[in-house]
Parts: sequence; structure tokens; C-alpha cells
Amino acid sequence: MKKDKPVEKIIAELKERAKELNCIYGIQEILNKTANLSTDSFTEIVNKIPPGFQYPEITHARISCKKGEFISNNFKESPWILEVDIKVQEEKVGIISVYYEKEMPQSFFGPFLKEEIRLMESIAERIGLQLLHEQLKVVFETNQGTDNKAEWTIVLDMLAQTDPKLLVRLSRKMINYLCWTGVSEADNLLYEFSPLFKSTEIFSGEVNKPYHNQEGTDIIKLSYDIFELASRNIEQKEIISHIQKWTKEDRSGFLSEVLENPGSSLSDISSAVERYHHMAPGMMELTEARRKSFSIALIRRILTDQFEFIKIAKSHINIEDFSTLFHKTISPTISYGKLGGKSAGLFLAEKILTQASKSKEILANIKTPKTWYITSDGLLNFMSYNSLDEILEQKYKDIKQVHQEYPYVVHVFKNSLQPPHIVKGLLMALEDFGDNPLIVRSSSLLEDRIGAVFAGKYKSLFVANQGTKEERLKQLSEAISEVYASTFSPDPIEYRATHNLLDFHEEMGILIQEVVGTKVGPYYFPAFAGLAFSRNQYRWSERIKAEDGLVRIVPGLGTRAVDRLKDDYPVLLSPGQPNLRVNVSIAEILKYSPKFIDLINLESGSFETIAIDSLLKRYGKQYPMFSRVISVIKQDYIQPARPLGTDFNKDDFVVNFEGLVKRTEFMNQTKEILNSLEEIYGHPVDIEFAHDGNDFYLLQCRSQSHNDDTSLVTIPENITKEKIVFTARKYISNGIIKNISHIVYVDPEEYSKLENHEDLLEVGRTVGQLNQILEKRKFILMGPGRWGSRGDIKLGVNVTYSEINNTAALIEIARKKNNYVPDLSFGTHFFQDLVEADIKYIPLYPDENENIFNEDFLLHSKNKLSVYLPERKSLKNVVKLIEINEEFKDSLLSIYMNSDLSKGIAFIE
Amino acid sequence: MATTVYNPFASAQKQFDKTAEMLDLDKATSDLLRFPMKEFHFQFPIQMDDGSVKVFKAYRIQHNDARGPAKGGIRFHPQETADTIRALAMWMTWKTAVADIPLGGAKGGVICDPHDLSNYEQERICRAYVRHLSANLGPNVDIPSPEIMTNAQHMLWMLDEYETIKGQRLPGTLTGKPVGMGGSLGRKEATGYGVIINVREALKELGLEIDKTTASIQGFGNVAQYAIELFQQMGGKVICVSAWDQKEQKALAYRKKDGIILEELQSIADIFGGINKERAISLGYEILEGEKWIEQDVDILIPAALDNSITAENMQMISKNVKMLAEAANGPTSSEASNYIEERGIFTIPDFLANSGGVICSYFEQVQSNMNYYWEKEEVLSKLDTKITSAYISVSNFAMENDLNLRDAAYAIAVDRVARACHDRGWV
Repeated sequence: MKKDKPVEKIIAELKERAKELNCIYGIQEILNKTANLSTDSFTEIVNKIPPGFQYPEITHARISCKKGEFISNNFKESPWILEVDIKVQEEKVGIISVYYEKEMPQSFFGPFLKEEIRLMESIAERIGLQLLHEQLKVVFETNQGTDNKAEWTIVLDMLAQTDPKLLVRLSRKMINYLCWTGVSEADNLLYEFSPLFKSTEIFSGEVNKPYHNQEGTDIIKLSYDIFELASRNIEQKEIISHIQKWTKEDRSGFLSEVLENPGSSLSDISSAVERYHHMAPGMMELTEARRKSFSIALIRRILTDQFEFIKIAKSHINIEDFSTLFHKTISPTISYGKLGGKSAGLFLAEKILTQASKSKEILANIKTPKTWYITSDGLLNFMSYNSLDEILEQKYKDIKQVHQEYPYVVHVFKNSLQPPHIVKGLLMALEDFGDNPLIVRSSSLLEDRIGAVFAGKYKSLFVANQGTKEERLKQLSEAISEVYASTFSPDPIEYRATHNLLDFHEEMGILIQEVVGTKVGPYYFPAFAGLAFSRNQYRWSERIKAEDGLVRIVPGLGTRAVDRLKDDYPVLLSPGQPNLRVNVSIAEILKYSPKFIDLINLESGSFETIAIDSLLKRYGKQYPMFSRVISVIKQDYIQPARPLGTDFNKDDFVVNFEGLVKRTEFMNQTKEILNSLEEIYGHPVDIEFAHDGNDFYLLQCRSQSHNDDTSLVTIPENITKEKIVFTARKYISNGIIKNISHIVYVDPEEYSKLENHEDLLEVGRTVGQLNQILEKRKFILMGPGRWGSRGDIKLGVNVTYSEINNTAALIEIARKKNNYVPDLSFGTHFFQDLVEADIKYIPLYPDENENIFNEDFLLHSKNKLSVYLPERKSLKNVVKLIEINEEFKDSLLSIYMNSDLSKGIAFIE
Repeated sequence: MATTVYNPFASAQKQFDKTAEMLDLDKATSDLLRFPMKEFHFQFPIQMDDGSVKVFKAYRIQHNDARGPAKGGIRFHPQETADTIRALAMWMTWKTAVADIPLGGAKGGVICDPHDLSNYEQERICRAYVRHLSANLGPNVDIPSPEIMTNAQHMLWMLDEYETIKGQRLPGTLTGKPVGMGGSLGRKEATGYGVIINVREALKELGLEIDKTTASIQGFGNVAQYAIELFQQMGGKVICVSAWDQKEQKALAYRKKDGIILEELQSIADIFGGINKERAISLGYEILEGEKWIEQDVDILIPAALDNSITAENMQMISKNVKMLAEAANGPTSSEASNYIEERGIFTIPDFLANSGGVICSYFEQVQSNMNYYWEKEEVLSKLDTKITSAYISVSNFAMENDLNLRDAAYAIAVDRVARACHDRGWV
């Protein structure tokens, strides 16, 4: 992450910032020493401006205001101009203009830098304040010597002359206040104070002319009447304090106006927030309620309008936080878009953890990668810019056609151009990122609506981000286009069609994130990355509780932990029980360890998967914190890899993260992160993370309850007893299994009676054959004890994973024998295979209280074994194959499981 | 009900009874050998990581130590029964006897599931086990080794506890230690090499020249790879190997009719013996279904993967050319298949003779530990060759003299040796 830009470039940038600061300090100095801005002071000021710019020798400045027009030495006008208004009380009272004598290279705004615009705004604001100060001084002086007047009248006089609009607003608040507090005369005044008077038109005209002579006289008089009434009913002190409070609040009026107006665009909001940000502290004191309402409005407008999210976010995201966000947001010129749920989730999680870190030191150094955002309307903007509008109809086409046409959609999108405004934003982002690899992720508004189940359906793309600026821009634009194109891929369209979501508008925000990692040889990758869940749905030991959480961790990019792979495994850890590992014997540890690594090849510019062995042999020593990631395999023995003395050419390695668990704070840190987030969210969360060898980076955070897979299942009630096959109450995960047509039941009693070792083995082979014959995921396996037990076959049916890999669920039955309930295996023999294939594991304790176990159904239903496997009929007492619709016409078996209630039920539906 | 249930000890006794009858053992000897000589059933409390206390049940069963200190593994298993351990202890007595090493047989275990235990808790269990048994372990008493769910790490914890109790370094107390910590070189090679040394001796007897023979091997793990290495060094040609393919979730067989090249397969294999299919194709290997290993027209079949891989279902597929079956894996042939193979006249080297290289090397480890002097690998391997050759010849001679097949002969010679030792000591 710490890749430096060329030193010269940094120095050049710093020089620019120094010039700007000199400029602003110089001007401030002039303002400080004059009570009244004279022609001289203006001339002095206007000459201070050019040196603050990038090309001082060709820069010219002019200030025009009521005091006159002031120009810098040798002033020349030109077409390359930057202008900023000087305002007093929201009224434009002047203008500052800066000209470049000749054309200079393009930058943020024409040839001007973003910082230079801020410099100008700052100068204008300071001059504006000075002018206001002068006006107020006049008022003060006029009021001198009128000691017998009440204080509030002085204030009112001042306001009437300087800011009559504010006076009217304050009067309105006062009359409201008087009405609420039960002052009866107030009602009449309230009536007179009709909304008509709010019209600002009556105030057009010079600010400091007396108002008595104008049409607005009545309203000013009315204001005085109101305060007159107030002074008769409440104490003077109170009146003053109200005026103070309301004045301060009123200063934020611009913000509320912008936020409340649905027509204000993102850039309006952005500049309002910017203005708020630059206001001197103390100038605007907001009540807690008002702050909160601003935050909520901003969250709704910028992040997401998901109610659940706002509820949590409002206490953690401040107005100030948006200022930094806007600096990294790219949007169409006039934008009404949002950032979407994924971006919002990460932004919120970061804030939650920063707050939590104040009391929990372990959270202090959690980082998030540098991120830029494209608002959700970027997609439609892109499409209309390239006249791709008709692709919007794609979703209404026949799914087959969608499939056929999708490659062309991708092709067209990738060959379309990003609109110029977006390109400008991307260039700024690239400047900020340098040449670190990037990931472009979707942050769809649809995901917010229906949950994370949708998340995986859109693309995330890695961008190597190497080469010239043009090349890098091209790579990035193409990746964004391709992510956009994925909105029209068959998978999400099919999903939307089945869930009646087709008419929902396509809006997809984009996150452009720096990839966490370091450079190793030609490659770039993090030391490790993965997912962490605050609730563990896959418990491999009775001692692990759901709240102990789960981590899926892999070396390199986290893609291999996010996806479930057929031929590789992530390492599973439980942060609450770091020492209880899924795999214990050396053979298990070796088998279920990651063998491959995903990384970015900087030379070819591509995302690659390579064998971890070959990477270590070549670049082992450079692998970030390798001694925390890998261990050395000595025959029948696993040793920690030591930073010194590890021979990458000769030794064999296994990725088991033993060093990470034992010798770092990683597990505690992860647990604390999950706890802190879950506590605030009020329900389980999952995160994506990566580690570059130095720091822990949070990449994503979402609420687990939004995940279709793990959302809590409502357990159906009132099912007639004869339709229930079993109920379970211990170690239940979440989920629904439906449409089960067959049960393969190995009767524990008959199995234990088998005398011959070979007969016991036969049972396993029979199950293996059924596994091949029966339709995938449409049957369940039920049997005694420990499935897959290799040591003592009597403890459970001897099967390998490939003999059960098509089942929908593996169910282990622990029947009580002489007051003793045997331990179940929790599927340990192929636990990780079950997890990766999403085969549910259910332990059954039929003899424990309240559990239903419909043995009668299992034993006396028609056994179809001899029909399917005539050669195995000798085992028909032991292995039962039950066809559900043979027993219950047109019915199938369903299993509902809810981990929170710790309840599971299998019944005929 | 107990009588109708499969009981490993009962079936071990049944097998013993058959042999005892054949050897015409007297009743006292039979009675002695039918049961273990010593059994320790004990339990100990362990403080768990969370501060709670759990009581664990444990066993150590020493079947017979007439020929030397008892030897056998310690397993961690959640549903261990005394009968299983009795059967395994008896098996160890025969195993050391057939290899003709001066050791007896034992087995032990703790009823626990390491999946539910942290490493710290496992360490406490190992140490407690040794503390409770210290008077009955030791280089001259009973020598444990790793078994199911235990490994070199467990051995080192146990050894450390034992040495602390005794106040001295006694590395010969346990075997299965890492090299440099009292382990022996050559252990990786021992089993695979042992299989081929047996094959070499058997071929001599059959009058076949090893450099004119071909073999097909099931598995590509440690045992298989070293077996191939030595077989090829002796001039034999391996035509086909099968290996598990993780991606396809099934075994595949890799065939090269003019002989597979070990080094190139090793270069595309992971450490688990899985072979990269795509790269194998590019190296010119034919890819066949996993079970095809058994159908190859070779002289020798070497199952070196799973138990029960040659059964009634596939035994017919064995080619007419096959002359020898060397059981490198434990129990690879079902009893039905075993009978069929004998009828076919295929010469079988039974598992506990074929894979005795492992236990012989454990013995070497113990010898080296006792004298605190460790041999070079060549020395270990040459001693292994001598030991296995003579073990084979003894069994083979016994078979010929008594008109037995090699499997029955190996079993009988083992029982016979133990029975004689008991007799010579004046026990019976």
C-alpha cells in the first residue's frame, strides 16, 4: 500500500500548497491590520493573489466590489478565467477573478487546480466577513449612547439594517414560541405574520438602506411588535439567549435548504457540505437534533435510503464525514445518485470501528483501503452518453436470448466511452491511487433492496493499473464498463424475473478500491484475506457456540475465501475458540489446506491463480509475514516456519495460519471487530478483510440478516404429528431444504447388529451407489453415529466424501444406549467438504426430551432399496430407501432450521 | 445381543484360535495368548482452557512382551472400546514377531475427540497419560508410537513428561519422533522400500527377473512413491499408477505403456499424492478411470492406497498376466477376493509382511535412541534390507515346509515365535 509517488512530484505538490498558504496568510495579515478596507488594502490584497497560483508570472487578479475595482500589476484579461463571488449574508457583493495569460495544461477546472479554487473561495469568504464586520461596526456606532434602550432592541436594530431576512426568520420563531408558551395576544400577531411575508422579494434592494421607506416597513414593524410582546412576557435574558441560539442555527440554513430540496443535485449538496466544513468552528453551533437531522438527510441522499441502515448510521456518521467522502466521489454533472449499500456499509463500519477504538485499543489500527466512488446514476449516464438505452429492454427478453446476447452486450459496453465528466473524475482518482492495483466493485441499489444474496451476481474486477496514465485510464474505464454490463447478465436478470424485480430501475454505484497487498516478484497480493462472520453457522465441535464466529481465510486475494471452490479449501477458524481447529490430524490439515493463491500479475496485468507451492519456492522469503501464514511439514510433524532458516527450496509447506492464530492478535482483533459491529447493528454481520503484512484492512461489511442463506427461517407450527419425520434442538444451523424426494436411512439398531466387518463395509458402498443414482440434492442421508468414521467402522457408516457428495443433508443419529448418548462427529471427517458444497449437517438426539423421531415412518415405509439396487437386497433390513411420494401422494420432504431458536424440523410438505 | 455384534477382538481371537489349532498349541499357551497379559484402564481429570474440568478415560493394553518390550500406538478416539484396543494390541504382537524384531505388542488410547480439544488441552492429556502410566512405560517396558489422531508432537509431549519424571533423557521411550529429536532417517522410505524388498525376494523364488517385470500401482502417496523408486532402481517398469483427483472427486489412473517416469510425476504431484491431470496429459500420460489400475496387463499389482480396494466386485478384472499381488496398504483385499486370487494362483505377499518396513524402522529408531547414536540413511536402509529379506525368507520357508500360503504362514510363524518365547521363558 505504501508505494511512493516519484519524489519530485511530491515536492512539486508541496511547493504548490506552500504558495497557497503564503497567499492566504498574506491576505489575512492585511485584513487584520485594517479596520476598514481602503483602496490601498484592496490593491495590496489583489497583488497577493497571483503568487498563490501555479504559474504566478502569467497570473492576473481583479477584485470588484462596491468599493471599486482593483487589479494586480500589469493586469491583462484572457479567456482562461476563474471567478468566485464575494458574499455578505448570502448576498453577492463582489467578485474576484483570476486570469492566466495563456493556455496552460488541463487540470481540475480548466487549467486551475482544485486547491486553487479552494484558495479563491477562502479569500472571498474572508473579504466577505471583513465587509460584514464593517457594516456591523456602523450599526454599533449608531446605537452608541442609547443605554436606556433594551438590549434586544439594539440587536433588532442591527439586524434590520444588516440582515432583515434573518430578522424576519427570528421574529417568526419568536411568535411561534410565544404561541406555544400560551401567550394569548400572540395569536393575532401570528395571523398577521402570514406566510406571504416570507417572500424575499420585498427585500430586494441595497442592504444598508433604511427599510422604513420601503414596502417592507410593515413586516419590520411587526417584528418589533413581536419582540415588544415577548419582552412583556419573558425575561430579557431569555430573549437574548433565544436570539443567539436561533441565529447560530440559522447559519446552517443553507444546508437544510439544500438537503430538503429534492431538486438539489449532488454537487449542490457537496458544495453546501464543503461550505459547512470550511466554516470557522463556533460560527455554527447546531443542536444535537439538528445535527442528527442533517446527518440523516445526507445519509438518505448520498448513501442509501434503506431504513435499517439509516437507523444505525445516524448515530455514527457526521456531516463532517461527508466532506471527505465528496472529495472522492465521481458523478455525472448533474447527479441525483447514491453510493449504494456496499459503499455505505463499508463507510459506516469504518466509522463504528473508529468510535469503538476509543475504548478498545485493539481496534486502533484497523484500516480501510483508499476508495473512490461513482454514484449510482453513473450507469444510466454512461448508457445514454453512448446511446445504449435500448439495452435496458434486455431484461424483458426471453432468458435464452439474454444468454445469447450477453457476450455482445459486454463487448459493446467495453468499447463504449465514459462521459467526459466521469473521465475527469477517474483521472483524479488515478492520480490519487498511483499505480497500485485496483478492484472495481458494484454497489447496486438493488442489493440494498433485497439483500446480499444479490451481491455475488454482479461482477467485481481487478485492474492491474500499470503503464502510462492513458493505459491505466483505459484499463479502469473498461473494467467499470464491464461491471456495468454485468447488470444485464443472465444471472441477475433471471433472479429478478423470478422475484418480480424486473421493473426496479437499474442503478449501480461503483467502488474503486485500492487492492490491499504488496509486490512480490512480478505479483501483487495481500498476505492473506477472507471473510469473517459474527455468527458461526458451521460448528465443528460442541464446544463452539454460534457467537464464537467464523473466519474463512486464504493466502493472497480473498476471492478464494468468498467463493466456494470444488478443488481447494480456505482455512476455517472460530475467533471465539481459536484453539479448536477443524482439522486436527496431519492428514486432515494437509488435505484441507489452501493449495492455490489468487493474485495479480503486474507484468501481464492479469488476475491469476497459481499453486502456492511454486510461489513459495520462488519468492517464499518475500512473502509478507510468511511465518504467520505457513508452517513447515516435517514428516508426521508440523513446525512453525521461522523467519530465518526456512529453506523454501527444500522444505514442504502447509498454509494453516498457525503463526497467525498463536503469535498475533489477529483472532482477538477479528472477534472484537465482529462484536463491535454486531453490537451496533443489532444483528449478526459479516465482513471481508485483507492484511498486507502490516495492517488489517476492512474491505466490506454487511448485515448477515440480509443474506438469504442465513436469514432466519420461520419454523412452521401446527404440523400434524404423522407428517413430521424428526425435530432437532441442538447445534442447528440456518436454512431451508426443500423438495426432498428420498430418504436414505441406515437403521442404527440393525447396523449395530451386523456381525461381519465386510457387511459393515457393504453398507458404505450401498450408500455410495445410492448417492450416484439419486438426483443431486434431492435426498438426505440419515444414519447412526459418525459418518465416514475410518477408525472403528462400527461407530458410523464407512463412507468417503465422494460417496455422499450428492446428498442435501447429512444427518447423524445419536441413540441413547444404557444411559449413554454417543458423541457425534459433526461431520469432521469431511467437514470442510460439506461446508464448501453447502451440504447441511444435522445431529439428531431422538431420545432427548421433546424431540420427535418418527421411527415408525422410517422403518415401516416401503423400502425401495431392492428396486434401485437389486444386488444389495441382502442389506434391506439395514438400509432403507424411502420414496416420499410413495408414502404421501404428491408430497415432498422439507427441512426448516433456525439457529437462533435452535430448532429444526423435517416434515412432509 | 453382544454375541451377534461385530467385535474386533472376538474376530482377532477367532483368527488366533484357527492358527493355534494349526500349530497345536497347548491350552495354557493358547489361554495366555488369547488375552492381553496386562491391561490398564484408568481415568484422569484435565483442566480445560476455559477453567472447567473434564475427566478422560484411557487404556494401555500390553498383549505380550515375551519377545521384548511391548510396542504399539496410542490413539485419540472418541468412541474407543477396550475390545478394539485388545485386538490391535494382539495384532502388534504378531506384527513385531513376523518381522522378527525383539519387541512385543501393545496398544493404547484416550477416549477423546481432538476436534473438540485445543492443542493445549491435548498436551495436558498426553502428559497426564504418561504420568499415570509412568511405571509401566519405558524403553525396556513398553514403547508407544503415534496412531490415529496422534503424531510426532504428541510423542514429544509424552516423552518430555516421562523424562521429567525419570530425571533423565530416555528418547527410546517412544518412537515416531522427528529427525533431530530422536527420530530416525529412512522412515519415509522404509515402508515403500520394504514392499519392494519383499517383491524382489518373492520374484527370485518364482524365478522371475525383476528387470523384466512390470507393475501397476494403486495410489501415489508416500508408500507408493518410494516403492516405485526402488522398483525402478532394480530395473522394473511401472506402467500405471492411480491417484485421487481432488477436482473430479474420484481416482484417476495414469498410464504410460513404456513406463511411467517417477520424477516427472512427482514434479506435477502435490504433497498429498494428487497428480495434476492436465500436466500429465501434456507429458504424454493416458488418463483412465481410477479402477483401471487393476486391469492392466502387468506382472505385479501393488495396492498402496485404501483398505478393501480389491473386492468381489472388481476381482474378475485382474488381468491373466498378473503373477503377484503385494499388499502395501493395510487390508486391501477382501476375504472373498483373497480366496479368488489364491485360486487364480496369484502369489500374494500379505500386508503385514509386505508393509513391515514401517515397524522395523520404528525398532531401528528405538535402538538408535537407546544408544544415542544415529545412523546415516544408507545404514538404516541397508539394515532394513537385511531385516526384511530374512523375515521374508523365514516366512517363505515356513510356507513351503508346511504347505501354507504366505498369508497363513506369516501369521503362523508370528504366533509360533511368540509361543516359543513364552515357553523358553518357562511361562508355559
